[in-house]
Amino acid sequence: MHRRDVLRLLATGTALQLAPRGLLVTLAEARRLLSDQSTLRTLNPHQAATVRTITDLILPRTDTPGAADVGATEFIDLLLTEWYSQPEQTLFMNGLADVDSRSKALFSKEFVDCSASQQSEILAALGDHMIEDATEHPRPQFETSFTETNFYAMLRRLTLTAYFTSEKGATEQLHFEIVPGMYDGCHTITPAKGVSEQK
Amino acid sequence: MSEQTTYDAIVVGSGITGGWAAKELTEKGLKTLVLEAGRPIVPEQDYIEHVPTWEVKFRGLGDRKQLLADQPIQSTCYACDEWSSKFFIKDKELPYTTPPDKPFRWIRGRQVGGRSITWGRQSYRWSDLDFEANSRDGIAVDWPIRYKDIAPWYDYVEQFAGISGEALGLPQLPDSKFLPPMEMNCTEKLVRERISKHFSGERVLTIGRAAILTQQHGERSACHYCGPCERGCITRSYFSSLNATLPAAEKTGRITIRPFSVVHGISFDSKTRRANGVRVIDSRTRAAIEFRAKVVFLCASTLESTRILLNSSTTEFPNGLANSSGELGHNLMDHLMGSGAEGYIPGNEDKSEIGRRPNGIYMPRFRNVKSKHPDFLRGYGYQGGAYRQGWERGVAMVSFGPEFKNSISRPGPWRFSLYGFGECLPNHNNHVELDKQNLDAWGIPTLRISCAWGENEEAIRKDMAIAAAEMLAAAGARNIEAGAQEDPPGFAIHEMGTARMGRDPKTSVLNAFNQSHDVKNLFVTDGGAMVSSSCVNPSLTYMALTARACDYAVNQMKKGEL
Repeated sequence: MHRRDVLRLLATGTALQLAPRGLLVTLAEARRLLSDQSTLRTLNPHQAATVRTITDLILPRTDTPGAADVGATEFIDLLLTEWYSQPEQTLFMNGLADVDSRSKALFSKEFVDCSASQQSEILAALGDHMIEDATEHPRPQFETSFTETNFYAMLRRLTLTAYFTSEKGATEQLHFEIVPGMYDGCHTITPAKGVSEQK
Repeated sequence: MSEQTTYDAIVVGSGITGGWAAKELTEKGLKTLVLEAGRPIVPEQDYIEHVPTWEVKFRGLGDRKQLLADQPIQSTCYACDEWSSKFFIKDKELPYTTPPDKPFRWIRGRQVGGRSITWGRQSYRWSDLDFEANSRDGIAVDWPIRYKDIAPWYDYVEQFAGISGEALGLPQLPDSKFLPPMEMNCTEKLVRERISKHFSGERVLTIGRAAILTQQHGERSACHYCGPCERGCITRSYFSSLNATLPAAEKTGRITIRPFSVVHGISFDSKTRRANGVRVIDSRTRAAIEFRAKVVFLCASTLESTRILLNSSTTEFPNGLANSSGELGHNLMDHLMGSGAEGYIPGNEDKSEIGRRPNGIYMPRFRNVKSKHPDFLRGYGYQGGAYRQGWERGVAMVSFGPEFKNSISRPGPWRFSLYGFGECLPNHNNHVELDKQNLDAWGIPTLRISCAWGENEEAIRKDMAIAAAEMLAAAGARNIEAGAQEDPPGFAIHEMGTARMGRDPKTSVLNAFNQSHDVKNLFVTDGGAMVSSSCVNPSLTYMALTARACDYAVNQMKKGEL
């Protein structure tokens, strides 16, 4: 694999899942090169790579684009720079550092250098912690506040927002139409297979 | 060429009531000047309802730091968002004060069209349950009108505005001249059946009655269900002064709309005992200008109209023009909002909605209609609706990956909500006064607002949450969450009173035709005129009262009485 290919894959966020482990050194170099061209203002190259990896694990490319395809990392950087307060930004940055602490403790590597299954294991642990936090500090379900107190909840909200409010996410994944031109309150749909969300 | 300063009529404000006054007065032949404090709005440029999330910088989250700096109060309103914050005032320019223990949220819009651009469009008639309420309870003063006085004017404004809804034949919520109703979705229909059965038909769920067209109406098109009405509507499908009444007034060739015109006072001629001028500061040049007319309609919104009168004292009226009663500024009301319940409704998993219906459901008042409630006077109605949860539900989940992505992209469980709008009793102590120490951006004295909920309101607030939870249970809801939010007055944006109507000039500011008892050519037809608050949304009643007052004023002018 040439460095240019690695760069391309990295830009789309798929490299870390596809790349053979021997390429890690090249990857590290590639990340630096990529970051030189980047316009990110708050996330450093390593943080950006971590965010890109996690967002693409949450919403990967399937037959529709994934989080990296729609620039989720760039949107997150924008919010961290211009939208969040200082304490919220700190919560996020500390959370990112904690991701690496976890990966180092478990696998003696930074998160981005872990295998996909190792990364999934770490996300699962972050999810468990998020549930514990939510149980300890319950919030009414109808509260729609964008501010979170848990890093992973914050990152998940940012990832989903970045994706589903993007043009590709909204139109290709959600089939959003700006002007539906009609209202049907009882339209028959095919229920999703193998997914039960009944409350 | 110098600007024309003399007209037949002056209307202060261009929102819901100013638009109606402009239409009625010009159509009856009066050369009318509409003074609007804010800027002009050009629908083709300024409406943004079809701008998608990906074309705004913060994807709909709004420029949070800017909003907190410039619009900390306004941005607590859902509609003051990344798209529509431009239709709300800058809080710094238009300050007001409150006692520390009595917060009040004053949500305002200053532009041609006023708050009619961003209003909630819910439109309901009041009934004699409302117009007789003060008399029956021995509270405040009696309304000088009854339902029969206003009914023909409801007919009149509804037929022009276009109100979609379902006729129910209920005495406490009279039917309008309806356009076809919007459709209830299948879960709302399911909930309606279950609640009706459980409460023996006494509690009725119906589709919201909305000033949104469900079919072509004159030159205005039917709703195309894009969703966010508060950003404008290029097909003019919902009623606003910009979409409907102001264009009608323009057709007469007799209207002059003057934007950037901040009205701060009304001049009074002590010989004729008539208002003989409207004092304006041009917000761009800061020049002071006075306009003259035979009749003046204050339609600047409840508290702004009252502020103008309080700021217009004369030797005859030291406490504010048209205030011989001393009631000007008093009896401020709003609706209680934010208490209710939500839950999940199982079933209809194979059904979803197409289109974004800009309207919910309504449940007419059922408390103190047939039997007396032990804890409170008056009552409340509910608004809400059923919807399938969207991708946002995925935030709180722990799963990730392709299956997760696919799953949260599909409609989630059905959620159903009921939130109350409760009546607020008129109370002399809930009042505003002029604050000459604190001036706004144009040097005009501001308002000190002192308003708090009373015991009756607190009892209603509690009942709104409990009764909603009981109905959700009857409807088979799961995971019901009930809440009695302590929103301060003002937040329902139904502020009314402070220049009430009444029969007796000693206890009221306006007569039965919204005409000042003291100054015969002065009319106030916005929410300021209200004597009680009912529990239903007030705008339709403001429209009917305005059209009725214009008819009366022009007849009086023809008789030489004004």
